[in-house]
Amino acid sequence: MSRQLFEYHPVIGYRFIPNLKARVPHEAGGYLVQTNEAGFRSNRAFTAARTPGKRRVLLFGDSFTAGDGVSNGRRYAEGLEARLRDAEVYNYGLSGTGTDQQFLAWREFAQGVEHDLVVVGVLVENVRRVTARYRRYLDASGHERTYAKPYYTLDGEALTLHQVPPRREPFEDHELPPEEREAVDRGGRFALLRQVVTAVGAKDVVQRLTRYQPVPDYDSATSPGWMLMRAVLAQWIRASQRPVMLMPLPLYQHIEETCDADGYQARFRELSADTGCLLHDPLPDLLRYPMAQRRAFRFATDVHPTPEGHEAIAASLAPAVERALAAISP
Amino acid sequence: MAKTILGLSAFYHDSAAALVQGGEILAAAQEERFSRKKHDPRFPARAVNYCLEEAFVEASDLDAVVFYDNPLATFDRVVENSIAVGARGREQFVKAATSILGNKVWVNEHVRRALGTLGREGRVLFAEHHMAHAASAFYPSPFESAAVLTLDGVGEWATTSLGAGRGNHVELFSEIDYPHSLGLLYSAVTYFCGFKVNSGEYKLMGLAPYGEPRFYDVMREHLIDVRDDGSYRLDTSYFGYLDGMVMTNDRFAALFGGPAREGESRITRREMDLAASVQKLTEEIVLKTARHLRKVTGERNLVMAGGVALNCVANGKLVAEGIFDNVWIQPAAGDAGGALGAALLANHMYFGEPRAVDAKGRDKQKGSYLGPRYSSDEVRAFLDRHGYPYTRIEGLAERAAVVAGHLAEGKIVGWLAGRMEFGPRALGARSILGDPRNKETQSVMNLKIKFRESFRPFAPSVLRERCADYFDLQCESPYMLLIAPVCASRRIAMDDRAFREGDDDMLAVLHQARSDVPAVTHVDYSARIQTVDAETHPEYRALLEAFERATGCGMLVNTSFNVRGEPIVCTPSDAYRCFMRTEMDLLVLEDCLVWRREQPRFDDAENWKETYELD
Repeated sequence: MSRQLFEYHPVIGYRFIPNLKARVPHEAGGYLVQTNEAGFRSNRAFTAARTPGKRRVLLFGDSFTAGDGVSNGRRYAEGLEARLRDAEVYNYGLSGTGTDQQFLAWREFAQGVEHDLVVVGVLVENVRRVTARYRRYLDASGHERTYAKPYYTLDGEALTLHQVPPRREPFEDHELPPEEREAVDRGGRFALLRQVVTAVGAKDVVQRLTRYQPVPDYDSATSPGWMLMRAVLAQWIRASQRPVMLMPLPLYQHIEETCDADGYQARFRELSADTGCLLHDPLPDLLRYPMAQRRAFRFATDVHPTPEGHEAIAASLAPAVERALAAISP
Repeated sequence: MAKTILGLSAFYHDSAAALVQGGEILAAAQEERFSRKKHDPRFPARAVNYCLEEAFVEASDLDAVVFYDNPLATFDRVVENSIAVGARGREQFVKAATSILGNKVWVNEHVRRALGTLGREGRVLFAEHHMAHAASAFYPSPFESAAVLTLDGVGEWATTSLGAGRGNHVELFSEIDYPHSLGLLYSAVTYFCGFKVNSGEYKLMGLAPYGEPRFYDVMREHLIDVRDDGSYRLDTSYFGYLDGMVMTNDRFAALFGGPAREGESRITRREMDLAASVQKLTEEIVLKTARHLRKVTGERNLVMAGGVALNCVANGKLVAEGIFDNVWIQPAAGDAGGALGAALLANHMYFGEPRAVDAKGRDKQKGSYLGPRYSSDEVRAFLDRHGYPYTRIEGLAERAAVVAGHLAEGKIVGWLAGRMEFGPRALGARSILGDPRNKETQSVMNLKIKFRESFRPFAPSVLRERCADYFDLQCESPYMLLIAPVCASRRIAMDDRAFREGDDDMLAVLHQARSDVPAVTHVDYSARIQTVDAETHPEYRALLEAFERATGCGMLVNTSFNVRGEPIVCTPSDAYRCFMRTEMDLLVLEDCLVWRREQPRFDDAENWKETYELD
């Protein structure tokens, strides 16, 4: 495509270019992206003061929340807003980010914005991204480049923020010392094997046969990945003046029941119990759909939610948010 | 409800897409600008993406998708032609049939793959090639009714079509069919003179003023029979395109004193005279046809499209003759414009939507600025991401004054401002600019910017109200489609005796100052003019005005923002890359000024001189 979608940001690493209108080619044809002056995918400006008569929900997350693969109007954020009474949803979703960067986005952009509830759509894969110090992104010519990202380390109970501002220019492979190369997120475990399996079109079959567990960090409450993720979310919940609702977003393997969701579900329940935050787990609702319909919640090859997938998430989330708003508002 | 229609042209040369909503042209662009492959004939997936982006509509909300050509009618012509020429035409038949059966008949599948839908019609509509050209000329024109003339190489069967447009209706009532084609004759001579077919025709036109039409009589005697009404027939025994992969054959070569010129070899007097001869013939046919058309339609207005309508020398003579009161030519007159015509045709004649002309007499082409714009936010995001130094000047007046000052000092400026042009001409949105008064401008632009030693001059952009100060042109020429003489008072006599007496060195003539605006004055004292008004492109207009304030000259040299063989730049990234590969001094990307002297070393991963095939 001819447009650059993101610009450098000295804290988060990047954000959408403000006031952009673009169409992103995609396997389903293409989708329309509109950003507001704050640099988020939204058809409306984010105003500081509440809109009279409206309650306000701030929504954070990665590409599943930003809506990679679908136009703005077809995301679960818009579906949620349409289902709520007298409420507006500000979507701060930012593609490719970890929960750490989403927390930074909340700090940078949401502090002066009046609201009633914060919803964090945590794609469960984000547990890997919070441990990463670098991520691979495609540049304008379609080549993968390694960019630094801000990240936290956990020293006892304390979180320490590093690499802010992140380096603007991409890293060549030889520039990274060997120990740092391990901190490059290459999109998941067994990167080469995944590429081969995907290239020969055997991804779904291999997934079913091996019951491959894509996010093992949730298997233990003391895994380094989960400990770090948990600490970031706990800090966010503590820092927020308004209630926070966590929504762990399952991977397609969980929705299609080719791997076990017990681990991440247990971890988020523990976190909710420990911090007192709200928790909405959409997976049980999603599993009620027939399998053929569930398969249609993702694209043929792109694992992001289709418009149908977004609708299903919105339908699951809306009652929980409505209850939460009712409990908060007079 | 207003119809939203996507038009497509593809699989021959210059594929493109256009989007029309309620009869308004919202977007149009050639695929080459995005793919960076000159005259890209492939399915215009990127251009389609842009059109939907600009209109900001979902593909599923398209009322119709329309292709500019009828592949089955084209296949019918290919089959009949192959039967006529027999076994000699096997190679040519295989190539044409492969193209049609391999791509064109599968247009539905291409669209479905690119869009994920066929729109509300559930199928692709097919226009006729010359109807698409006619529609592209008539519907955006400022006329309630007009005579219509389309001239190109070939589309399905037709090569020349005559018709009329009234209200929302266009009809073609007469045509000349393949293999008789003025466009193919011009292309044949282009080929014989060593230039590329479908891109080198404008070079042949630029070469013509150096020559004498000494082959005109031979052409009339052997190649073409032209009647008083402008209709014509070719003697196809001199041409190779019916049964071979080349445009001309041995008989043609024998007629003109030997084999075709090798590309890139020295241009001789023969090629100059061939160019002058076929140009004279073309003008004769265009003028005769126009007179006939005026007579049979009674119309005061003429609209034109098709590749031959890009012959701005013939256009200039047509206007000067005054056969019609007004002439409007589609700026994307070639196949790219067929995409626009197809969409407009569907809107008005398939869906029956009414058409209203502008009360102030303006056309609906929007200056042909129908391509993408990149905002200041996007430009800065690009520059910042790469750490390229720049200065931002937000105020248009101040920015124009700064840039104009540097132009007046002889600097060459790359200029990207506003929406990209649709059609082959750069009109001040993606242009390289210079000072027309400066004797060095032409050679610097040729040798250090465009990397060519051209016999063609550059074109001027002139403030509309100053046009008469420089040129004998009585009408507007916003699309750089008309050639007119430089005013006699500005001319400087040339010493071309040696050239006229047989010395073939064109550059010795070219490098002589011929007027007080030497960079834009051709050897015959003509210029290819763009008039710039106050409404259509405010940024470019402001720059011209600032240059006039600084110098007293309300004109700039305007050449396309590219190097030889490269499509015109589209994005800030394309512009920066082209800027750094050449010796331009200053790059203006919207409100950001980028100075060469401040830029870091540019590591060019691409050997662009190999990437871009010479045209």
